Amino acid sequence: MEKVEHSPKAMSAIYSNAAKAAEKQMRFEEATLFSDLSAHFDGKSEKKSATSIDEVKPFITEDLTSLYKEAEALALKEGERGVLRCTTWGKKVTAIHKSLLDRYEKQGDALLEGNNVYVCEACGFINVSPAVPQICPICKAPASRFLQIK
Amino acid sequence: MHVARNLALCTKDCLCLFVCPTGATDTETGQIDFAKCLDGCRLCVDACPSNALYIVYDSYPVKPKKHDDVLSALDALLESKVMQESIADSLKEKSLIAKAIALSNRILAEDCARESRYMLPQGEGTKELLRSIKEETPTIVEKLLETL
Repeated sequence: MEKVEHSPKAMSAIYSNAAKAAEKQMRFEEATLFSDLSAHFDGKSEKKSATSIDEVKPFITEDLTSLYKEAEALALKEGERGVLRCTTWGKKVTAIHKSLLDRYEKQGDALLEGNNVYVCEACGFINVSPAVPQICPICKAPASRFLQIK
Repeated sequence: MHVARNLALCTKDCLCLFVCPTGATDTETGQIDFAKCLDGCRLCVDACPSNALYIVYDSYPVKPKKHDDVLSALDALLESKVMQESIADSLKEKSLIAKAIALSNRILAEDCARESRYMLPQGEGTKELLRSIKEETPTIVEKLLETL
């Protein structure tokens, strides 16, 4: 296997994913160990001190105009349906980040008045609404897979 | 392999108690007693009227390796997502939107990791990565490589 370098924060995400997968297999001891690794690498990652959430916008633009497109083209070329599923959901969720941040920039916290913020734990879809969605419009997960952000 | 119960689906009709030869389905927590569950028996899975019982396997197949170009593209996305997560992390105490953006990016990052090399905790990609950090976190890595 080729040597791959991941940043500490990426390592943290790889291990938090492994923790979730271990939990789904009812391997709770391993899940805890993977969570510990995830926390270890999260602690090692470079801490940002952003002044505005708009600082993610250039990355969103790059994801939508190049990174997802490249990954999608390669997935199609190689017949990787799983990767295509990942890019299909990912670019939709990322486009929603963009529209949400555009609305937030214009309206500020008025955007949240009378609303709650929910995140689909299956695909990352963010929904700002008074009540939890019955089904995720991106990945079709049920209401029980939504987490309310507090 | 053993059976597990999806507690959100279980309607407490208790057919699993009737058919279980060992009593593994009858516990105070509602979850199956994995130690008592008979390997491959699955009587309760077929008897459950709510499809709340499912098989958890002990071993998983080796996945075909994906093309290097696909892996590189997913690695680039993974790094972009965690970068956005880090930016949002620094604002999450102040803003619900930032907190949601941070979590959402973590979920997107995990999906890129899953589709590249790290879907299964016991897969070769994950094990290889664990071996590469053995010096850094020896106790955890040893325990994981032993039990996975």
